Amino acid sequence: MAGEMSLPKQISDNFRAVAESLQAVTPEWSWSVQLMSDYFGSVHEAQERGGVVGAINFGVPSEILWAMDITPLLIDPIGGVAAAFPEGVARYIDLAEQHIPYYVCANNKTFMGMLLSGDLRLPKFILHPSVPCDSNMATYPVMAEYFGCPYFCIDVPYLRNEAAFTYTVGELRRLIAFLEEQTGRSLDIDKFRQAMEYSNQAHEYMLKIAELRQTVPCPYSSLDAISEYGLVLMLCGTPQLVDYFRKKYQVTAGKVARKEGYLPPGEEKLRLVWIYGAPAFDFTILLHLERQYGALSVAFMNNNFVMRPIADLSTLDQMLMGLARKTVMMPMSRECGGVWENYLEAQIDLLRRFKADAAIFGGHVACKSNWAMAKLVKDRIYDELGIPTLNFELDIFDPRVSSAEDIKHTLGRFLEGVPARQSRAE
Amino acid sequence: MTALEELTSVSRDITNPYVDEWKRRGKMAVGFFCSYVPEEVLYAGDILPYRVRPTGCQPPTHLADTCLSHLNCTFVRSCLQFAYEGKYRFLDGFVFADTCDHIRRLHDVMRATGPFPFIRLIGVPHKSGEEAVSYYAGEIARFKSEVEQYFGVEITEARLREAIALYNETRLLLGQLYQLRRGQSPPLTGAEALNVIIAATSMPREQYNGLLSRLLGQLRGSQGTGKCRARLMISGGGGCDDDSPFRVMEDLGGLIVTDTLCFGSRYFMQPPAGGDDLIMGLARSYLNRPSCARMSDKVSERAQFTKRLIREAGVDGVVYQRMQYCDLWGGQLLHLRKVLKEGNIPLLDIEREYHWGAVGQVRTRTQAFLEMIEERRNGR
Repeated sequence: MAGEMSLPKQISDNFRAVAESLQAVTPEWSWSVQLMSDYFGSVHEAQERGGVVGAINFGVPSEILWAMDITPLLIDPIGGVAAAFPEGVARYIDLAEQHIPYYVCANNKTFMGMLLSGDLRLPKFILHPSVPCDSNMATYPVMAEYFGCPYFCIDVPYLRNEAAFTYTVGELRRLIAFLEEQTGRSLDIDKFRQAMEYSNQAHEYMLKIAELRQTVPCPYSSLDAISEYGLVLMLCGTPQLVDYFRKKYQVTAGKVARKEGYLPPGEEKLRLVWIYGAPAFDFTILLHLERQYGALSVAFMNNNFVMRPIADLSTLDQMLMGLARKTVMMPMSRECGGVWENYLEAQIDLLRRFKADAAIFGGHVACKSNWAMAKLVKDRIYDELGIPTLNFELDIFDPRVSSAEDIKHTLGRFLEGVPARQSRAE
Repeated sequence: MTALEELTSVSRDITNPYVDEWKRRGKMAVGFFCSYVPEEVLYAGDILPYRVRPTGCQPPTHLADTCLSHLNCTFVRSCLQFAYEGKYRFLDGFVFADTCDHIRRLHDVMRATGPFPFIRLIGVPHKSGEEAVSYYAGEIARFKSEVEQYFGVEITEARLREAIALYNETRLLLGQLYQLRRGQSPPLTGAEALNVIIAATSMPREQYNGLLSRLLGQLRGSQGTGKCRARLMISGGGGCDDDSPFRVMEDLGGLIVTDTLCFGSRYFMQPPAGGDDLIMGLARSYLNRPSCARMSDKVSERAQFTKRLIREAGVDGVVYQRMQYCDLWGGQLLHLRKVLKEGNIPLLDIEREYHWGAVGQVRTRTQAFLEMIEERRNGR
């Protein structure tokens, strides 16, 4: 992926090819892939025609950007998908590590390396929230200074109370002012309201689908469950996301009505919930678990969108207050950006709702915050739910830390000790 | 004992005779982990603010490691180890700020695995504009109420004003101390200066100011150490409360004349607090001090602060020390290296553990660094 090729275009082309091959097998499987192809294609097109592309970390409300005709380039997904390609992102990580320590998050290092290499064009600006972690705070402001790129940090308070939400609303107002200054455009309230309505509609479907996914047998594939996180980050506020989730809801509701699971009848032996990271560099590990152990990954922390659609869209302030609450409830921000009870309660709720047989804590090695809680959480999950948790180390983008084979081996040994669902009283 | 010896003795251990005496008088002490905690609020309640250090903690931190991970910094693991060993039993509570991932999870782990008395966290904004100041003032006011309620004290405006005046005086006196260090022949070493700062966070403020004033009197006009191989700045992250690596560097001929540490210049070089609204004044003062790497809107300002101190103290080289797994100070390097390179200032980057176990490595690398500076000076 070196040189002058546009990374977004390359990703878009790769996804299009995958979508076309999936289309021939099962059209439903191609929807999310095609959507990602379209999204990265739009990033490339925006860059080519001189449109405004802003790099954003998860937690920045993409609704605001879409409403201002700014194309958001989501930092996490671009790193995540690039990590899954044959050449991976080791080159970018190594380049970044010439400047910053190895223990900074691969998400940030990958983005930094992409910029340093020139494979990713410098965005118009960098936006990020102060949650969930130090890695963001340690890198984005510094990258912005280093590259001479305007940036804005949405300062989200650590403690979640009314004063904090009010402060965050102020931050969102300042974000809008920043974007207006950078682009010369004003936020059109009607366009913003339309984006928020699309966002609400998508969330309504997501909540309904989440209910359906809790069914035994689960109607959803592991891959769909994990990949939709990226789609939501990228496309929240667009009609494309609403369309996708409407189709997924219809298909999923049909399966549940027919009592069909994603796996063939009788094959869903174990239900896994990933309560932290998953190996983005090789999600076929999830398929391996399905085939080898009948272990379906029914839920992921990163796909646990529990926030209600924002009811009051009457004024800018009300919409921003809704977004402020949504920002702190976004997966990762909610769990990792506040006190440990946020994380614990969210995971216990997730495990309970999805009727998990085991919890998988894919401990991203750069995540000091979550690793500090891992033991406490594991013990508490067992105390409250009686289910085991596997804690293991990996780098979600870099297989050099734990390879796919190592991870399969580790998971396999763990799963062999977890009683199969059919042999347990329901 | 000279004032310097007295202050140094305070920094050597977890407790000291001043704290012992304070406790013997039935008074309370509350530990804090971050210099963004407004100590004045506690002091106004007649509670001694004590900056928590795991001084003397050596690996393994086996008790702490039952909860925390090896990916957490050794400063917090050492603090937790000491907490579990009961070394902080003289403290009646702990106050945290959401300084960094490690500190905030230490807060969580201590709450979850206690019982430790009175554990509170103050939410500190990552910005310093007026809106952030207002938010932080709200947090300080909330903290004040919690202190009053829990400890049964009343923090009156008058007492708070007195405490603020006392702490402002400390800042003024420490500023004078650092002014002396900038001279051609600084009257004390970097190691000595570190211990003087640590003492400020470990004893009652009136007594500290008295000792510091005495020290300044003794240092002014004294013949200092002018001869050195290079004038050094120590920069970087927290947990730098052990003078042994400083002594190593200075034994080799380096002279540490300034720093940008939070057990250093960043502790006191903040605008004085005060004004009509004391809480707002405190919030504004703390948020506008030379910043920690956790502050998002101050990257360039931090670099400019570093450059200013380099210029004022005639620094020949910067030793940048940072704890392993400290993202915040590790990330700064991307920008700081570029800025120092542009200014032709040599930089030595040392990644370390809390207890500076690899002192031999410090010695070797410092020796090489000093030689490099000398060669550059001699045009080689």
